[in-house]
Amino acid sequence: MEEEEIIYFNHLDFRDTMKKPIKICVTGGKGGTGKTLVAINLAVMFRDNGKKILLLDGDVENPNTYLLLGTDLENGENVHFFIPKVNEDKCTKCGLCAKNCASNAILFVKDAYPIIIPNVCSGCKLCYKICPVNAIEENSKIIGKIYEKKLENMALFVGELKVSEARSAVIVEEAISKLNARLEKNNDEFDIIIYDTAPGAHCDVEKLIKEADLVIPVTEPTPFGKLDLMRIIELIELMEKKYKVIINRSSLLGFKDDFIKDLKEKKIDILGEIPLDQEIVNSYCQGIPLMAKNSPYNKKSSGAEAFDNIFSKLNEWVRDYSE
Amino acid sequence: MSKKHVGIISGKGGVGKTSLTASLAILASQDPEFNVMVLDCDVDAPNLAFLLPKDSSEEDRKDVFATLKAKFIEDKCIHCKKCIDEHFCEFNALSWDEEANIPIIDYISCEGCNACKVLCPETAFEIYPVKSGEIISYKTKYDFNLAYGKTRLGSTTSGKLVTDVKQHAQALPVYEDINLVLIDGPPGIGCPVIAMLTGLDYVITITEPTPSGLHDLIRAIEVVNQFNIPFGIVINKADLESPFQDEFKNFMEETKYPLLGSIDFDISVPESLSMALPLVIHDPKSKASKQIEKIYEKLREKVLEL
Repeated sequence: MEEEEIIYFNHLDFRDTMKKPIKICVTGGKGGTGKTLVAINLAVMFRDNGKKILLLDGDVENPNTYLLLGTDLENGENVHFFIPKVNEDKCTKCGLCAKNCASNAILFVKDAYPIIIPNVCSGCKLCYKICPVNAIEENSKIIGKIYEKKLENMALFVGELKVSEARSAVIVEEAISKLNARLEKNNDEFDIIIYDTAPGAHCDVEKLIKEADLVIPVTEPTPFGKLDLMRIIELIELMEKKYKVIINRSSLLGFKDDFIKDLKEKKIDILGEIPLDQEIVNSYCQGIPLMAKNSPYNKKSSGAEAFDNIFSKLNEWVRDYSE
Repeated sequence: MSKKHVGIISGKGGVGKTSLTASLAILASQDPEFNVMVLDCDVDAPNLAFLLPKDSSEEDRKDVFATLKAKFIEDKCIHCKKCIDEHFCEFNALSWDEEANIPIIDYISCEGCNACKVLCPETAFEIYPVKSGEIISYKTKYDFNLAYGKTRLGSTTSGKLVTDVKQHAQALPVYEDINLVLIDGPPGIGCPVIAMLTGLDYVITITEPTPSGLHDLIRAIEVVNQFNIPFGIVINKADLESPFQDEFKNFMEETKYPLLGSIDFDISVPESLSMALPLVIHDPKSKASKQIEKIYEKLREKVLEL
């Protein structure tokens, strides 16, 4: 089979003329490296610095931002997913729908009505669009929710996949388009948007990286952290995005020196390091961001100082970028 | 004993799926009861091979072309812009380049669904297969077989590749004599996890005593229950000094979910990772190794009961 080169076409980019707001995507490849921890703390630091912030939780299989912000989710808006339905009164059993279905989600046997297999359907609506007698009707199922939450001086968008549904990317896409529609109406509503992604390097993650002005992969100094970081960096570079790495749990030694040396040789920009710190664990488990102005934690702890350093570097970048 | 398939999932990422899988595989391979094979179905970040490298024999590599993508054929385009105006693409993969007066396909969003090709009056779109990943299989230096899948970046078909890895393993000549298949799963609860859970006999759900660990565990268990697969919980970093410990303990007591065992934080774990060794090989006398042995004994009982 012939293999085609992957080409990432640049989307028609009207952001050049409309730079505001700045979009930062926190990701990492490996799970459990501290993506959400970094995302919520950056969000509250920007907020306490007078910026209008929106945090979008795009880890729709397991959204955790709201837990770490000590809040809950209510009144989510349902995300519907198209499912075709055959109207047997109209159907002439021509089989055109089944013949053109790339997902093989329609079974057709001559002289019988087509049978839909909803779990395989991609939702492309081709059957609905091409049926010559309009016998395919639009049906839908709920595959998840999008929650919009107003927190203190900060907005939170959370996508959540319904348990046992598979199409997480649809929820991510829906959350992005909801947000973008809102920005199109008023691009002054927010100064900075932070995306928190799922682990991995799949379509859910790609969609959010695609939106970003800056990508921040969070990793840890272990071989797994490195392997997954290199993979996510490959993806970020394919997509021609700027990125800066954060090394979490940087007090885990043994592997760290070689790792950092290697990153430096590859000229990978390191935004900062976050050491292991009990204050981080406490804040994480109590659902109060360590760096929030009014949080009860020790702002002189090694973790807090690390976040301060990261924030001032990032803030500098934001200033330069918006000019 | 008939063939048993045991999967390791977590919901939350980074809680120790791969490290646990590697050590359980070693213990099973030393057990005369089992003829074990290991699959890594975390196709986005397949790391198990790092802990279970191959012996001196050749590995087997196979490309997988499971992804379809659309291609635009400029020669055929009459610039009618129907593809945009009539919204051919439900995945928003089509946009219009005003300057060149042609459509642009966004590679990431494209699902290869056929709609643009069929709906375009001039058939100015083609659908073609692209390489979505590869499947690698070999004999590990610990004398059992391993197969894993690795997605090609940007190919967007993790779930399908998971199924491919499982099918690939079943087609291997060694598969016939295997009676225990251990499968390292992806994080999350979406498409790849669902693909991986299909056909399993038992699931280990590993977690850590934090709010996110618990939240993701609950969602993972919901999915496992949908499949009616028996499961057991492993708590990693069980002795974490955390204000959430009580809540986590209450949850375990109230739900009475089956606990397979706990693993305390042990510096020998990151050490073993740095040395690319399964913990039970690197430091079999360490506290965490002993705890994993206990988990293995319980798992063994379960599997033999199935």
